[in-house]
Amino acid sequence: MASTIPFTLITPQSVAFSGQAELVIVTTTEGEEGILAKHAPFLAALKPGVLRANVIVEEKPQRLELATRGGFIQALPDGITVLADEALRFEDVDVAASRIELAESSDPLVAEFAAAKLRLTGH
Amino acid sequence: MPSVKDLRDRIRSMKNTQQITKAMKQVAAAKIRRAEAAQKQARPYADALSRMLNDLMAAVSSVDHPFMKPGRQGAPVGVILMTADKGLCGAFNGNLIRAAEQFQKTHPNAVFYSVGIKARNAIRRMGQPDHATWPLNVPTKLATAQDVASLVTQAFVDGKISEIVLISAKLVSMISQRPETRRLVPFSQSAASEAEHAKGGGAKGAVEFAPSPEFVLSRLLPKYLEFTLFSSMLETDASFFAAQLVAMNNATENAGKLIDEYTIQMNNARQAAITKELLEIVGGAEALSGS
Repeated sequence: MASTIPFTLITPQSVAFSGQAELVIVTTTEGEEGILAKHAPFLAALKPGVLRANVIVEEKPQRLELATRGGFIQALPDGITVLADEALRFEDVDVAASRIELAESSDPLVAEFAAAKLRLTGH
Repeated sequence: MPSVKDLRDRIRSMKNTQQITKAMKQVAAAKIRRAEAAQKQARPYADALSRMLNDLMAAVSSVDHPFMKPGRQGAPVGVILMTADKGLCGAFNGNLIRAAEQFQKTHPNAVFYSVGIKARNAIRRMGQPDHATWPLNVPTKLATAQDVASLVTQAFVDGKISEIVLISAKLVSMISQRPETRRLVPFSQSAASEAEHAKGGGAKGAVEFAPSPEFVLSRLLPKYLEFTLFSSMLETDASFFAAQLVAMNNATENAGKLIDEYTIQMNNARQAAITKELLEIVGGAEALSGS
């Protein structure tokens, strides 16, 4: 098993995930970035997108996928922290509302987040 | 001296009042628990955000961001006043409004923004009827905070205001809340690093930034302002319920005291009436037997 690192995903309302992760993939403003344990200290701003992570839940590897809006990622030797304005799981996404947002929003950030939500749900 | 009937009516109305204040106290107690939980949920985000900001500050020497530079010379100060939407909370709103009035004395041309209906009314009385205002107690506090932040940021960048000052409530303890006046922008480094110094600081030295520290900072600073406003809203909300809890507790106790007092008065009056009647009967009987 690959080595793991503490990973926390925090939104202003709650801690969406806290545990061990092998790999965290986020969409930064520069593009997708995958971070493993022992990554050099790293700090970047995020774009709305789908966050994917290989996490260990109850000693079993699991795939974590969330649509995130805004925020930042910081990788330090002692852990990876992702701050997001919003982080939605598959079951929390309102597909119909996201479709409308994607089609009608003039704000590119809203549209990108809607696209990410639809991507997460496989639409 | 009021009659027995008057006193009885008074006691009944006082008991009704007491019931209402007691209910409001219980509601406040329940709501403060929720407000405190919301505050607690926001804390990890606040900690992580100030840690990132701190690491960034350590990594960049000079920062070219409007928030780090003094505002336009001669422009008025922008003040955000936060209060509750409702009253029945003792001197809570009054104290916050007084802090704003004092600020206005030293900065006569300050431009006000208000969050909370009591703040809105106060600022209107203070001579700015058309200022920008938001209610405090809404389910989407984060969205409100984002609105406020983007508006004041725009005003600051446009040179309409030279500083952004926030007056909000600080929850010292359940029985003590006080107004706090803080300057949010221009941003002073110490504000973010206070908490971090206690913990011994984050990673120093070789940190990679994508694409550049300046860019990340230009994203982080507005977020920091937004989030400071958001957490201040949560704290003001929690403080309001704490103040209301105390105020309603006092009101319930006072009503109890008045009920006791009136009950004694009523008993005295009733006893006096009985004594008077007895005296009249005895007097009458004596007058009859004496004749």
